[in-house]
Amino acid sequence: MDDLKQEFVDRESEYKENYGFHDDIEYKFKTRKGLDEEIVREISAMKKEPGWMLEKRLQGYKLFLSKPTPQWGADLNKIDYNDIYYYLKATDKKGSSWEDVPDDIKKTFDKLGIPEAEQKFFAGAEAQYDSEVVYSHVKKELEEQGVIFTDTDSALKKYPEIMKKYFGTVIPASDNKFAALNTAVWSGGSFIYVPKGVKVKMPLQAYFRINSDKAGQFERTLIIADEGSEVTYIEGCFTKGTEIATVQGIKPIESVTAGDMVLTHKGRYRRVYHTQVRPHKGKLFSIKYYGDTSTTIKATEEHPFLVVKKGKAEYKNTMWGTEWTVAGELKKGDYLAIPIDRNKQTQEERVFSVTIKGRWGNKEELLRLKMDKDFFRLIGYYLSEGSMTGKSGDSYLTFTFNKEEKEYIQDTASLLEKYFGKKPIVQKEYKNGIGIVLSSTTAARFFKDEFGKGAMNKKLPEWVLHESIEKQGEMIKGIWRGDGSFMNKNYTHGAKRMFRINTISKTLAAQIRTVLMRLDILASLNVQKRAGKRHNMYCVYVGGRNLAKFASVVEEETVEEIESGNEKMLVAVKDIQTTSSFAEIVGDYAFVPIKSISYEEIENLPVYNFGVEEDESYVAGGVAVHNCTAPIFMASALHSAIVEIVAHKNAHVRYVTIQNWSKNVYNLVTQRAFAYENAYVEWIDGNIGSKINMKYPSVYLKERGARGEVLSIAVAGEGQVQDSGGKIYHLAPDTTSRIISKSVSKGSGVTSYRGLLHINKDALRAKSTVRCDALLLDEHAKTNTYPYMQISADDADISHEASVGRIGEEQLFYLMSRGLSEEESIAMIVLGFIKPLADVLPLEYSLELKRLINLDMSNSVG
Amino acid sequence: MELEIKDLHVNIDEKEIVRGVSLRVKSGEFHVIMGPNGSGKSTLAKAIMGHPKLKVTSGQIIAEGQDISGLSADKRAKLGLFLQFQNPIEIEGVGFVNFLHTAKRSIVQGDVDVNQFMGEINALTNNLKITNGIVGRSLNQGFSGGEKKKAEVLQLAILKPKIAILDEPDSGLDIDAIKVVAENINEIAHKHETGLVVITHYNRILSYMKPQFVHVMVSGKIVAEGGTELIGKLEKEGYDSFIPK
Repeated sequence: MDDLKQEFVDRESEYKENYGFHDDIEYKFKTRKGLDEEIVREISAMKKEPGWMLEKRLQGYKLFLSKPTPQWGADLNKIDYNDIYYYLKATDKKGSSWEDVPDDIKKTFDKLGIPEAEQKFFAGAEAQYDSEVVYSHVKKELEEQGVIFTDTDSALKKYPEIMKKYFGTVIPASDNKFAALNTAVWSGGSFIYVPKGVKVKMPLQAYFRINSDKAGQFERTLIIADEGSEVTYIEGCFTKGTEIATVQGIKPIESVTAGDMVLTHKGRYRRVYHTQVRPHKGKLFSIKYYGDTSTTIKATEEHPFLVVKKGKAEYKNTMWGTEWTVAGELKKGDYLAIPIDRNKQTQEERVFSVTIKGRWGNKEELLRLKMDKDFFRLIGYYLSEGSMTGKSGDSYLTFTFNKEEKEYIQDTASLLEKYFGKKPIVQKEYKNGIGIVLSSTTAARFFKDEFGKGAMNKKLPEWVLHESIEKQGEMIKGIWRGDGSFMNKNYTHGAKRMFRINTISKTLAAQIRTVLMRLDILASLNVQKRAGKRHNMYCVYVGGRNLAKFASVVEEETVEEIESGNEKMLVAVKDIQTTSSFAEIVGDYAFVPIKSISYEEIENLPVYNFGVEEDESYVAGGVAVHNCTAPIFMASALHSAIVEIVAHKNAHVRYVTIQNWSKNVYNLVTQRAFAYENAYVEWIDGNIGSKINMKYPSVYLKERGARGEVLSIAVAGEGQVQDSGGKIYHLAPDTTSRIISKSVSKGSGVTSYRGLLHINKDALRAKSTVRCDALLLDEHAKTNTYPYMQISADDADISHEASVGRIGEEQLFYLMSRGLSEEESIAMIVLGFIKPLADVLPLEYSLELKRLINLDMSNSVG
Repeated sequence: MELEIKDLHVNIDEKEIVRGVSLRVKSGEFHVIMGPNGSGKSTLAKAIMGHPKLKVTSGQIIAEGQDISGLSADKRAKLGLFLQFQNPIEIEGVGFVNFLHTAKRSIVQGDVDVNQFMGEINALTNNLKITNGIVGRSLNQGFSGGEKKKAEVLQLAILKPKIAILDEPDSGLDIDAIKVVAENINEIAHKHETGLVVITHYNRILSYMKPQFVHVMVSGKIVAEGGTELIGKLEKEGYDSFIPK
């Protein structure tokens, strides 16, 4: 059996333990599909609720049946209420610390980054996994001030009086069909109580996601701000991933931007013309391949890979014809294609600008270096044995060899003198090592700038990656002499004969492998996790048929072999018996078989993709993938929540939502606030996702001086309906309100502004401003405005403005004439349009909103 | 860089506006196109930059040896072309500085150091005497006529094109502002060897500039070409004398 293959087999089981995840949640309790009185009773019994809550639920259920589906807005007639699970409970335990959360659920949330987000930005966070809140935590200081932030189910048990006093008083079940449905089957949601005079400065945040298909989500949020208190509550989401090969080296996919040059499946660099992120619902595949244990590729089901399907035994893949195959159809044993970057830019001489920090400021120095083979060997020595020493950290260039390696010590010393015109000092032996020190800040700086400082950060610059293979071979020789070894072990199942280069720099290991491929040597990359605080070790292995080729590059024609017994003897590498390799280099590709492939179901996880000029492909996680262009179709899900807010005298409540549900979700949410004397309630509402969204946050200004604001942003892309707006009821004197709505629609997307301004006859001196602006991105997009006003007072001061605009050719031409692409120009205009509202959001959310809009503006489908 | 216009014909809708113009401009050269209102100067400028509404019916626009008449405006900008707009467009909410930084990154196709960039903006704001500053303002929105013209020159200075077409950089400016704008354009062009094509129908700005080549455009055609002596002739005789009988 081939050595390498065995190595992988050895590791296989370890991988399963570490990485094999199928996110199959075991639901502890799940109602059957559809809804009837029995299910309502079951839910209440499961939750061990008091009788009054069951009564409310049953009443809600009756109202749900009797109320017609609203026909005045978006088309809701296609919702099949019998095809939905109304209650799913994933676990019995609800942790108050992250450690208590069951592992399977923890894993999901870990991927979504909740605890991290919590620590960084939010005072407390609740994460809702389907129906039950599994994680809740409020920072200690808040608890000490008497602030309650928990899930609504727990609140019902712990604070029954408050719940009984407020539940359903702001939004009664009779309000509308979906409020009735929520009342009947609600589960989870957040409960917040802020005591008198307490001002919560950091925003509280909750995170919701729908896990299983066809699971409705009916959370119930209740926020009570007592007199003079202040609180901001945020609902929303975030995430990141995959390594992409760019001209400047490996980059995480989320930091790839338009304009970057990426390696394509044709082994050449082409420009990224747009980048895109979208929330994904469905299968996420994890793919591992032989020859690189440091990489797991994660891709959506429809993402196309460049592959050679596993050949039938009789053909044995002699043809190596590539095809694009989507992740969902890949099989273990299929070959993934690693494009070999054979671009060549060779130069006899290069000039480098080196900045020298001096006592009197910085000084630029030009360093002219001859780019010959010998110099590349010196680069190799630096990569394996070089470091910076001296007071300022970079005044001396030092190489440390084992005292036995006399030949290399001599070689390094003479190379340094040849290229930097200065004789290095060869130090005395110390702990079996011998140091060679060149006192030249210029040389030290040069190596630091070009090849990185510190073993962990070593890397190759672009100009080295594209030099001629002769010079690169010489560099490999240098690295090999410093960090290489020959593995020579006999096992019961066979012998291992491999050349190995070790480094703790992941980037360098991957680059060495890339360079070796240019030399037609297929190496494999293994990561070894080491105990304690030691860094991971990345090992580049060369074995099998590649042994002889590698041996000639590093000029090690003979190696020490262990014969029977423990006798060592020299053997010519070419005489070592090898079998066929696990993978092949054919032309401009290396083909590596898939070792394992598994998937998990995800919801609302941002996935990244981008467009690349000409080739429309890129290298992700080492292998060639195509732009993701296939459409996604999924069953619909229903999200129908209720948010009730009570703001007592002088209280200030701000509620922020950015909903980015995947594009198959009906989002039908009722949000209402009561504002008492001089209280101030703000709804900030961003609507980007979902198939049909209907949401009109409202404020009842119930006492003198109350103030209400609704700021909403809606973006409707292809196939989406964003029906949103706000409602304000002026019920007392000296009340003020403001509704600002900005909507953007594109293609078949439709935005509608629906607003109600009601001014009671007692509401003297009421003041209100309503402004709605719509932006259309093309000639197909649609927008509607339905502003309703019921004004009964004589002295109300009302202003209403509405505008509809289309992105103009002249605007686009102006921006594009300055170098911005069409997509960038459109995104810039849209971001400018919503800026007044984006500015009000907390920074992280403002950035997230911008990112979401940037992706929505791109032309291709994710 | 060399920009060569070969017998260019341009339509707006069905109407031919540019009717066979040939022109050759190299980096470092200074050309002026003069002509009466409606002679097609601005249309020519926009066609060179790639306005989507203009249709090139025949002829070629050649830059760096390739015909660019099929390229979108952003690609032409990346090749090193720049158009100063006669009426710069206002865009709400788009920060001027952010826009220009994005544009610069597109042009150089890489990162642009923010500190250095801001330093450059500040120096230019002073040089151009934009007294209200530019930082924190929306793109051309609420700019006075003079500020808009100066802001275009500021963009020219930042983006450092190889060839810039300036469409009436002087219109609507008072005499002091014309001097400031002209001096700045001179300095930028000198420093970066920018090829200049200044379009104007007055010679006011030319008293502060030293063009090498003068082209007179009437009714969609270049009717006369020469050196600065043409400016004097125009001043005396007006455009009438250039209209072919």
